[in-house]
Amino acid sequence: MKKTLALVLALGWITVLSGYGQVEKPSDLKFPELKYDPPDPKALRTVFAGGLRGYVQEDRSLPLVNISAAFDFGSLYDSADKAGLAELLSASLIKGGTGSRTGTEIEDRLDFLGGSLSFNAGERIATLSLTVRSQDLDEGLALFFDVLRDPRFREDAVALEKARLVEGLRQANDQPAAVLAREYERLLYGDHPLTRQATRKSYEGLTVADLKAAHGRFFSPRNAVLAASGDFDRTALKRKIDRLIGPWKSRPSVPPEFPGSFPPVEPGVYFIQRPISQGYISLGHLGLEDTHPDFYAVQVMNFILGGGSFTSRITTKVRSDEGLAYNTGSRFTYRWGFPGTFSGYVQTKSSTVAYAVSLILKEFERIRAELVTEEEMETAVNYYLESFSEVFQTAQTTTSSFANLELTGKPLDYYARYRDRIKAVTREKVLEAARKYIRPDKTAIMIIGDWEPCNQGGEKYPGPLEKFGPVRRVPLLDPLTGDPVKTP
Amino acid sequence: MKRFPSLVCLLLAAAVCAGGSSLSLDVREHVLSNGMKILMVPKPGVPRVVCHVYYKVGSINERPGITGIAHLFEHMMFKGTRVMGVTDFGKNDAINRKIDEVMDKIYRERYWKRGGGDEDKIAPWRKEYEELVKAEKPLIVKDDLWTVYMKNGGTGLNASTGNETTGYYVTLPSNKVELQMLLESDRMMNAYFREFYSEKDVVMEERRLSENRPGFLFGEQVTAAFYAASPYSWQVLGWMDDLKKITRADIREFHDRYYVPNNCVAVYVGAFDPKRILALAETYFGRIPRAADVEPIRTLEPPQAAEKRLSGEGPAPTNLQIMFHTPPEGHPDTAPLQVLSTVLGSGGFGGGFMGRGGGGGSGRLWKLLVRDKQSAVNASAFSRPQWYVGAFQFSAMPRLDKGVSPEDLEKEIWAEIEKIKKEGVTPEELQAAKNRRESNFLRGLQSPMGLTASLGRAELNRGWRSLITDIEDIRKVTNDDIKRAAAVYFVKDNSLTAVYKRKMGR
Repeated sequence: MKKTLALVLALGWITVLSGYGQVEKPSDLKFPELKYDPPDPKALRTVFAGGLRGYVQEDRSLPLVNISAAFDFGSLYDSADKAGLAELLSASLIKGGTGSRTGTEIEDRLDFLGGSLSFNAGERIATLSLTVRSQDLDEGLALFFDVLRDPRFREDAVALEKARLVEGLRQANDQPAAVLAREYERLLYGDHPLTRQATRKSYEGLTVADLKAAHGRFFSPRNAVLAASGDFDRTALKRKIDRLIGPWKSRPSVPPEFPGSFPPVEPGVYFIQRPISQGYISLGHLGLEDTHPDFYAVQVMNFILGGGSFTSRITTKVRSDEGLAYNTGSRFTYRWGFPGTFSGYVQTKSSTVAYAVSLILKEFERIRAELVTEEEMETAVNYYLESFSEVFQTAQTTTSSFANLELTGKPLDYYARYRDRIKAVTREKVLEAARKYIRPDKTAIMIIGDWEPCNQGGEKYPGPLEKFGPVRRVPLLDPLTGDPVKTP
Repeated sequence: MKRFPSLVCLLLAAAVCAGGSSLSLDVREHVLSNGMKILMVPKPGVPRVVCHVYYKVGSINERPGITGIAHLFEHMMFKGTRVMGVTDFGKNDAINRKIDEVMDKIYRERYWKRGGGDEDKIAPWRKEYEELVKAEKPLIVKDDLWTVYMKNGGTGLNASTGNETTGYYVTLPSNKVELQMLLESDRMMNAYFREFYSEKDVVMEERRLSENRPGFLFGEQVTAAFYAASPYSWQVLGWMDDLKKITRADIREFHDRYYVPNNCVAVYVGAFDPKRILALAETYFGRIPRAADVEPIRTLEPPQAAEKRLSGEGPAPTNLQIMFHTPPEGHPDTAPLQVLSTVLGSGGFGGGFMGRGGGGGSGRLWKLLVRDKQSAVNASAFSRPQWYVGAFQFSAMPRLDKGVSPEDLEKEIWAEIEKIKKEGVTPEELQAAKNRRESNFLRGLQSPMGLTASLGRAELNRGWRSLITDIEDIRKVTNDDIKRAAAVYFVKDNSLTAVYKRKMGR
């Protein structure tokens, strides 16, 4: 023992060790101060040829390069008679090939290099992402820009992707969670481009000309933001990309306009029949946009209500205290240009569906009725402050976060000011936010489950579900046709 | 008495180069005197540290009667200790002893007697239990560990249980790693299993959630049928009967055997000073006494010696699976089988349920069955070596709109298998598969959490260096290796074929 201790002393470890007397409880720990300033987006920002904006960060730790381009494009822009266009474009942009290469040639080449190229169009943001080893950067970039600039949507590849999308429709009612997500949005937004669903007929009606028209309209340098990180020289990369953009021009395009208001939803229960042993439940209403000044207070409020997993009220009550569910809580979702949704959620066995709903509704009422505790406030605020640097943990997440800000038109100082805005949230502001954004009187309760046992309830909370307001039975739609499923 | 072994001598730094490129995997390793391993990868930059603890225990360490206990245990690790999550431990302990007594009476009546016992006897005990739970509530600090982590900026906060390992995860600001050391060492040595019976209800809800996923129950039967003897035959979630009947005493026994310092590794990746981490580890993890060594599992899988077939129907898409027994990790045939699965298989499931997106559809099976013959919606192959017994699996979904059946695809896949036995793969396919596996490995290193998980899990089986040697083995694979492996393992008597057809119920 003495010998090893002497060695430690000799190496000057005493200074390190003396700071580490063992403590028993977290409250006894004293942490050294840690200052962290987020990277400045302006230092990473650059504008390429053709007006293509981008964020570029060198990271030489691995011989890899990540490049992505995010476009303002997605299913939101499908016209009523072309539902599914963005999905089909998403599936066939690469597989349909380019002027000089078939889709198989592109995929085989990337496969051989051990790289990856993928394209994914969501509601309003579509992203092409490339990863290659740095030794293959030139070839990877050439493929990347070839696909962006000159896709040809070859007929055979498009036909195959259509068939696969139709197969997807056949499976679209399989997962109760997926059905709930789809139907809850349809309930809250009504008939709107946000909730438009493709059918077999709409997929089959789409043509190569439609794909080319959509590409021509939305895929231009000015409509995209690039994020590049990895093992490259910044100046050399810019030169390479500028050369590849070369003839790719932006056409002036007018962004489409969408109705920004949504018909009110009648409160009460909306029930979809499925022969399963649990009820899948979402209850709530529309929320707000993340550009709204109330966003920060809402974040803190929802962390306490049901967003902070085990530290939140709904999880503590429904899961920890009562053991009713594995998944439960509350969430605000956000979407670009429209208010998102608010929902309490739980999946629980049929006999405790009503009980779980009643507990969640109680928490909705409670957070509106009284100030949250000092302790809850401290935990929530500290979580956001202390976990803030997470976004910048890799060069890839840093550049793509900045690209996302720029694409969606958010201020570039969003991250620089983020912590101050969280610090400015008070218990009073949390109460105000709860009263404004949690509305039990407007809450729609959507349940997917087996009607009889759900409606009957259990010992602790017997049914019927009418206790929560008028009950409407919602027919399950057949995604292939968009018509109600015929029950056998 | 604390011991400080000669840290410096044991502190190894390993720089690993792959492919002649400048890759280096700078892992520092150290073993505490109680046998606990510490792995560190310093990455200067953003001041955060990924902190994971992995235990060498999973569902394969279970036996009939306690299936699901490894996962249930993981849940219980969040329910407080003798120190955390309680205001007055003495009082709390007294109540829990009474809870154990009354639950023992209930379980003996309900589960030891045929027909579920006498409800009239159970009812008053049940009431007594509920009273005790009510009395315990004021003594409990709910989700104490979770809250403390969150308040200190803990992200990636989670835990997971697999067949072989169980991991406990948090990422913290660099100045707060001591918090993880305190909380993780506390729950290793002072685990208490508070609110055991209500947490079992949560786990049973988790199982129901899986049961409601179309295809889950069939998949569970397929795995159970595939393994006749090996403990890989049950799911990590365990059987519902066992979940109902597992007791707090079972949990304690499980803890004492597996949750010991000589059966785990802590991994740190991020911005930190390794010397500081080691000093903290000595202070916190070093205070836990070493326990008995854990024996590896005994029951491997005997030769199958007969073809197995399973058919089922239900609410999931029609599909086909063909599975073969293969050797575990570290066997010379593992690398050729991994390469073969990459050649055949990277098409189908990569980009979501239909494998959309680029790169996903370039495997040989995808080209043949999905693109050219248009007889499948997806088709893929997957090799899973695992620690003790391996499996190689073909999966495909037929194009029902073209009148293709799973049995048709079965014939197609067998034809392809026979072709591989004779001809193997093309030189281009072989090189592409090698490149792909190597760059997948590189990509895995990009994410600090991914790197931490790979190191921790690998360390517990064959040591973290196996991550590198596995890639080296992949590089050496020849076409002859592939042909030979295919001939040895892809035979009917070593296979299970599962045909599932969609049928809508009520």
